[in-house]
Amino acid sequence: MSHLTEFETNLDYHFSEILEYPIVRPYWIYISLSHKCNYNCQMCGVAKILKGYELPGEILKNTLNVISKWKRDCVVMFTGGEPFLRKDIFGLIGYAVNRGLKTEAVSNGSLINEELAEKISLSGLQNIAVSLDGVKESTHDFIRGKGAFNKVINAITNLVKAKKKLGKGPQVSVWVTIMKENVEELFEIISLVENLGVECLVYHPVIVAQDDMQKTLPSAPFWIKKEKLDMLREQIDKIVDYKTKYGQVAFLHDPYLWLKYFDATLTKYNWKCNPFVFLNIGPDGEVRSCGASFGNIKDMNLDECLLSEEAFQARKLMKICPKPCLQTCWAHPDSDSAVDIANRFIHNIENCNDKVRFLKAGLRLLEKYKNTVMSYRNA
Amino acid sequence: MLNPKEVIVSITNRCNFKCKMCDISRNRIEELSTSQWQQVIKDIGSYGVQTIVFSGGEPLLREDIFDLISFTKDNSMGACLTSNGCLIDEEVAYKLRQAGVDVVNISVEGPRRIHDYLRGRGGYEKALIALENLRKNQIESTIATMVSRYNYKHLVYIVGLARQYGATTIKFQPFSKIFLNNRDGRDYFLFSDREISETEQIINRIISLCNDYAIATNPHSYLERIPFYLGRKYIDSNNACIALENSCPINSNGDIYPCWVRAEKDTLMGNLKENRFLNIWDSPRHRAIIEKIRKEGCPGCMMSCYDENFGRETIERRIVMNVRRLHKKGMREYARGIFKKWARRLRFYSSYRGSLKGIINRARVSLRKKNSVKVILTQKEIDNAIKEIEHIKKILKEELERSR
Repeated sequence: MSHLTEFETNLDYHFSEILEYPIVRPYWIYISLSHKCNYNCQMCGVAKILKGYELPGEILKNTLNVISKWKRDCVVMFTGGEPFLRKDIFGLIGYAVNRGLKTEAVSNGSLINEELAEKISLSGLQNIAVSLDGVKESTHDFIRGKGAFNKVINAITNLVKAKKKLGKGPQVSVWVTIMKENVEELFEIISLVENLGVECLVYHPVIVAQDDMQKTLPSAPFWIKKEKLDMLREQIDKIVDYKTKYGQVAFLHDPYLWLKYFDATLTKYNWKCNPFVFLNIGPDGEVRSCGASFGNIKDMNLDECLLSEEAFQARKLMKICPKPCLQTCWAHPDSDSAVDIANRFIHNIENCNDKVRFLKAGLRLLEKYKNTVMSYRNA
Repeated sequence: MLNPKEVIVSITNRCNFKCKMCDISRNRIEELSTSQWQQVIKDIGSYGVQTIVFSGGEPLLREDIFDLISFTKDNSMGACLTSNGCLIDEEVAYKLRQAGVDVVNISVEGPRRIHDYLRGRGGYEKALIALENLRKNQIESTIATMVSRYNYKHLVYIVGLARQYGATTIKFQPFSKIFLNNRDGRDYFLFSDREISETEQIINRIISLCNDYAIATNPHSYLERIPFYLGRKYIDSNNACIALENSCPINSNGDIYPCWVRAEKDTLMGNLKENRFLNIWDSPRHRAIIEKIRKEGCPGCMMSCYDENFGRETIERRIVMNVRRLHKKGMREYARGIFKKWARRLRFYSSYRGSLKGIINRARVSLRKKNSVKVILTQKEIDNAIKEIEHIKKILKEELERSR
């Protein structure tokens, strides 16, 4: 019944957005373990904010406990800074995995030697994302620091090797930040990582200021200027073409939106974030979707954070956000409009044998929604 | 669901002392390897256990103890070590600190003559050196003392020792036969009637001294019962022992028991070599064993894992005890006692949880935010939603008719 679950999930998020009330819990939970990082990448300012903050393991475990009790599936993503700098990360991953949660992690790859790769394979992570910014050593090293390219390639090789050796392990994926420096290499990255054995590739455009997502200044150093936009379009064409033929690349949104993004013409009419899908927990314990904080998990339960007064205000602000930033955090594009959701559902079950049964179940589901909404009216 | 809070891991039965009250080192059994222990610690960590106590035998006889401690810390649990102090020289203390141990518990039985008589020659000296080295390396140290006929007169001495060496806690525990191979022998550790009344006074003195020095110790009602226990006048076969549910000992060969006292063949919960902790804890067998012990009653003990039971007196009993105290001491002394107790508690909390102001602030914030949730949906939003639902319904119905 996975089609039906998907349909239900999409409807849940959609109606949460319309009613401005969390009918359902978030799908993505990013936990930023600390902003400490061993790299000083030029486009990233994360390490400069909230220095020295680190959530104690006890609080994180409590939070993971809360998350594991949620009914709907969700994914816990450990980010940072560099999450593998934290000593107890495997304890946390193990704790989450034992509670039946899906876990993922993002890393710059600098620390993943053979030993750590095997540890990662055995930890029960579902996906590990490594950042790679170019095909040429010079490009990647220019952005991230000397020697970084070799380390990343080593990391990916180690991960793939460990997975083969042990027979289990996370999906290895690569994240690419789109910027002026690597715009010519975007397509070539595909063949590079494919040879290395990477299973998934994700692109996301650069953001200028980490502390203020809405600040998209075309004068920023990594911004793709107007004259280079044609180059970007060419690359996107190639990538889209490749995806339709071979898959492998995952788009979190329509790639042609990147053009609008760098052209500074992307508005909330082209792209709207759904504040109910994604949750970020900072190293200081502040919970937010984007922008303003919902509350702090040091003071209250994560469930209470989602229902706090601040949360409702923060989500309202997100709804009217004028400048979407197309980051990886928002990746549930199917809940845009109710009609789209219904059409997608019908499309999915097109070739099923028991199509009628699915449709009937869908109708029953809608009846349930109607009752829920009505009950809000009565309250 | 049973949630373990503390797991006591006996990682080896070997010991470099032959104490008169313990026969553990005579029972040589095989030990789990480092990687096996690490797997166990990982599993325990995934259960939300707060502390692992490494005990033995003498745990420092195992060379991988530092790795195991740091592995415990990596899994975000507290690590506590019980030792006779014999091996803690400056280098070991430094290594312990590097490994990140939280608390080291050193056994001291009394002045030199008594300690050396009970534990073997030279033990006293080395225990004190250990305490000194721990202090130098800023590791929290506690003292454990077994109360028996040999040392009951010298308990006050131990409080003085704790103060001198900066130990934060003294744990008193009456002599128990459960670590003897022959559980019927060695009655010469126990009390006669005259000694009971004498010890009662000493215990009162210890309680007041610990208050003055701000040294933590067992709950008072637990301490007050020690003389009667040793005089065989009091055997508490409490069927509601909480230690059964939130702690368990693990033997060095991987056997898990619900409790040291009931470590018998028919209460063996499982072995960690054959099965994982996850599958043993909270398993049907585990529940059945607890149920059985509850039903049959246990022979009764005063192990320190069990002293938490005494922290949870019923309200009636508390009132009775307070009235009795008030009657005995007089209003002024009584009030002073309460004031001192709270001052000590606040000092303790402020050192662990930040300043009083911070605590109050946090409490206020969390109270205020809890009852602030109130959402009102406007009529328009609801109408929109219903309109959309009807629309999708129509689409699905059309599709349904077409496919028929």
